[in-house]
Amino acid sequence: MSDADLTHDAGLTLDGVSAAYRGVTVLQQLQLTVARGELLVVLGPSGAGKSTLLRVVAGLEPVTTGQVWIAGRDVTADRPGRRNVSMVFQSYALFPHLTVAENIEFGLVVRDVPKAAARERARAAAEQVGAAHLLGRRPGQLSGGERQRVALARALVREPDVFLLDEPLSNLDLALRVQMRAELRALHDRLGATMLHVTHDQTEALVLADRIAVLRDGRVEQVGTPDEIWHTPASRFVAGFVGSPAMNVLPGSGPIHPSGAPPAGMAGDREIGFRPEAVVLGEPDGAAATVDRVEVVGTDAYAYLTLRAGNPVVARVPAAHRPARGDAVRVGVRWADTHVFDATTGLRCAS
Amino acid sequence: MLAPYLVGLVGLVLFPAAVTLALAFTEYDLVNPPSWAGLANVSELVTDPVFRVALTNSLVFALVAVPLRVLLALGLALLLHRRSFGSRPARVAALLPTAVPEIAYGLLWLWLFNPLYGPINQLLRVGGENGLTMLGRTPPQWLTDPTDARAAIILMSVFTMAETFVVLLAARRALPADVYEVAALEDATGWDVFRRVTLPLMAPVLALLVVRDLIASLHFSFVPAFVVTDGGPPPYATTYLSLFIYRTGFEYLRYGYAAAATLVMMLLTVVAVVVQWRLFRRYRAFYRL
Amino acid sequence: MRRPKALLAALLATVLLGSGCGAGSGAAADGPVRLLVFGAPEELAAYRTLIEAYGQARPGNEVQLIEASDRKDLLARLATSVAGGAPPDLFLMNYRFYGQFAAKNVVEPLDERIAASEKVDPADYYPVAMEAFSWGGKQLCLPQNVSSLAVYYNRTLFAKYQVPEPKAGWNWNDMVGTAIAMTRDDRGVVVKGTESEGAAARPAVHGLGIEPSIIRVAPFTWSAGGEIVDDPDRPTRLTLDTPPGREALKNLVDLRQAYGVVPTDEEVEAEDDESRFANGRLAMLMSSRRSTTTFRSITDFEWDVAPLPVYQDQVGVLHSDAYCMTRGAKRKDAAWRFLEFAISAEGQEIIAATGRTVPSHIGVSQSPVFLDSSQPPRNATVFLDTVPTLRTLPTISTWPEVEDVTAGILENALYRGDRLDEVIRALDEQTRPLFARGEHG
Repeated sequence: MSDADLTHDAGLTLDGVSAAYRGVTVLQQLQLTVARGELLVVLGPSGAGKSTLLRVVAGLEPVTTGQVWIAGRDVTADRPGRRNVSMVFQSYALFPHLTVAENIEFGLVVRDVPKAAARERARAAAEQVGAAHLLGRRPGQLSGGERQRVALARALVREPDVFLLDEPLSNLDLALRVQMRAELRALHDRLGATMLHVTHDQTEALVLADRIAVLRDGRVEQVGTPDEIWHTPASRFVAGFVGSPAMNVLPGSGPIHPSGAPPAGMAGDREIGFRPEAVVLGEPDGAAATVDRVEVVGTDAYAYLTLRAGNPVVARVPAAHRPARGDAVRVGVRWADTHVFDATTGLRCAS
Repeated sequence: MLAPYLVGLVGLVLFPAAVTLALAFTEYDLVNPPSWAGLANVSELVTDPVFRVALTNSLVFALVAVPLRVLLALGLALLLHRRSFGSRPARVAALLPTAVPEIAYGLLWLWLFNPLYGPINQLLRVGGENGLTMLGRTPPQWLTDPTDARAAIILMSVFTMAETFVVLLAARRALPADVYEVAALEDATGWDVFRRVTLPLMAPVLALLVVRDLIASLHFSFVPAFVVTDGGPPPYATTYLSLFIYRTGFEYLRYGYAAAATLVMMLLTVVAVVVQWRLFRRYRAFYRL
Repeated sequence: MRRPKALLAALLATVLLGSGCGAGSGAAADGPVRLLVFGAPEELAAYRTLIEAYGQARPGNEVQLIEASDRKDLLARLATSVAGGAPPDLFLMNYRFYGQFAAKNVVEPLDERIAASEKVDPADYYPVAMEAFSWGGKQLCLPQNVSSLAVYYNRTLFAKYQVPEPKAGWNWNDMVGTAIAMTRDDRGVVVKGTESEGAAARPAVHGLGIEPSIIRVAPFTWSAGGEIVDDPDRPTRLTLDTPPGREALKNLVDLRQAYGVVPTDEEVEAEDDESRFANGRLAMLMSSRRSTTTFRSITDFEWDVAPLPVYQDQVGVLHSDAYCMTRGAKRKDAAWRFLEFAISAEGQEIIAATGRTVPSHIGVSQSPVFLDSSQPPRNATVFLDTVPTLRTLPTISTWPEVEDVTAGILENALYRGDRLDEVIRALDEQTRPLFARGEHG
């Protein structure tokens, strides 16, 4: 079996998919594979093409090139109803005129499943998402979180090949978001279903995903586990996008010279990046800097510094030992905590 | 801010309505002052066979014409709500019959319905011999047969549904698109989508429009009946309540009696408004999201 | 100019108010006399000619013609303008319809003015027309014509099919026979119109056109020796259930049902009788003098008139319009001066020249202005010969409603062939309440 057949047999494969919207190309020859039973999170900024990607998989947008394979079937030419996918929309898209039970069983009823069986499966799905007590209500009477559960129930009652989730948590408040994240992960583990989850929230991605695909301008920048994305970002963009506050990126020859043994391949135009938690203040031969402001979040403090050379740096320090505004400090970092990127391409330099 | 509207409302609607209410219990010929007649007008109305025919005609007209109008408006709205080739001119065409002045519209149909020389019957006679249609029957005798005359008035009224059409068009376009995408994902096809999604979501608007049309049908039957059939082939086949009132008042100079008949019309309108109010209250809760 | 907008609004309001009020009060005693009439364009032209002539004969006296589109429009305008306090000074109305206004005291009696007038002498006018407009012993209006029903016929068609023309003294059966002989298909062969269901069998020419109304039934009932109401002066019901009434009704209905010589209702709806006659597709048409003005524009064929056929006696039914003055008129004297002119020989000659009227002025009717045979109908004397035999329809105030109701029933009888007993019963039942409500003069 060739490589191509292997990937096509995965849970979901996008093979060289391009999509356009009103003449503008939104996805550029995208290659992406989601293994069966995997929860892949597509992460990216606004306008990266995340929603388009999802809609292309669902069949709601047409592709200009490439193919979409779901569970070993080429569904590129199939209409949405034939692809055996379910989608949870950002707005939940519940039918306002139907009860929760009727909403959930909608897909079954349309496919002529007998009423009693449909009702039973809907009830079971509702139980799985913790919405069993809402079956008789209408969407207008539900809160945001409850509606989301119903949307989930509706998506999983049909046991599709792929679940698509379009920023389902973005409309919830923080506490609910955290709770639903956990429930979503638990649901996935219980079902073992192939899920494609789209979000712009990197915390969500890091917590939920089996693997993350970072999307930028219609291209996949990196696909990897959360660990890989965090510890070995493939490009400056990925490094800067994941992690908050963002990673500090400075010229390789620049004011900061990391301590310790430098990696190979430092020759040429390079940039170094290091996260705020890797910054050491009070390093005797570090770069000189002044503190612009300090933000305190609980027991952590983030100090925003400006080096004498002019580059901004963010450092994380324990709140108890934080500097004051206007202080002069010395900044240092170790090579072990530093990432090296090529200044022109932005790609990671292999070390 | 409300003052000008209130002035108009009171002066042009409420005050004449009150005067009509008062006139209904008098005999008034517009020339001599009104004279009190108590309930005589009402009791005459109850026994007047012509009034009964007019009332029946109006009710039957409402029950037949209104569903047809709303159905046509709904069909057109669903066909033309997306911006596709020719949808703009088609929308304008759908609006034209209502935009044409009523009398001109009526006169046009008078010519169309001419039993021998009008285009409709000429078209129906194509392919037939001896002046019969292709199926070997006489073409409808539009203005001389009572049933055909009623059908003619209903046919005329079906096309002037622009207001309903515009509202339904807006209502359809206001429906959330994501719900339709869900339906697409659930493999619901045209008829299923219409039955399960579009129709229920548009039901409140439809219900309100139907009631509004029912009320309006009391009025828009007047000009067609007046201009085209003049009350219809005898006996009173297309004499609607509005025409009956007009004749009684303006031709026979019995304004008190006409006012009493107008009261019946107002009563029917009030009933319809009450129905509309309750429908509105009931549906309002469902669709709040 | 501190508040230009307010000032402008005030100015606008004043202008509107002024023009609005001005229209009402400006029509006070020194405006034109307003005359309300209705009719076909040719008829209206006749009235305009009369007014112009008046304007020339009496310079400075203006008369303004208000044209209504049809009788119903005229009735509505009259009633509403009377109620509005600004009625026309004069209006022209048929004696069958003036009763509702006479009963409501809208019309000003003219006896005193007539007595004082040097130009108007009641003896100069046909009594039957004058009496038709007498209400409660007073002369309310002055008639301009004494028309009646006659039979117009297409001479060219008669010559073409070599059928003898109608002549004086002919009876109903003669007329039916003539009509049958004149109902032909497009090849000129006699057809029986009752068989026509499809176009091929439709007659190209019909023998007779007759409007199914009580006005057409009346003269034949009278001619058969019967009455149409129980008491012509104070009618309480129709009496068509008598043998003469039955006979007249049956004969009318048979024209369509038995002989098929009149067009079907579909055909009449598609093309009314007057148009049909003018287009040469109707051999005979029973109508009043009113049709003459329309038919004078015919150029394709020759036509003439014949008297109504008789049953037993020669009887005709009066068609008469008169000038009436409204009580609320603002310029009564000026209006009376115009009335005098219009009714006198001078005015009657002008109108008679247009062909519209059979002049009510005896002298004018016998003069060449009316009898001039250079314009059709050449047998204009037909209209005069019948005057002594003319009878009037009741002038009860609800007569217009009676006519509307009976028209519907008779139309169905003629075209649908309803059972005669049913028809007669319906006629009686539906008109009794109308008679009960009516007022007599």
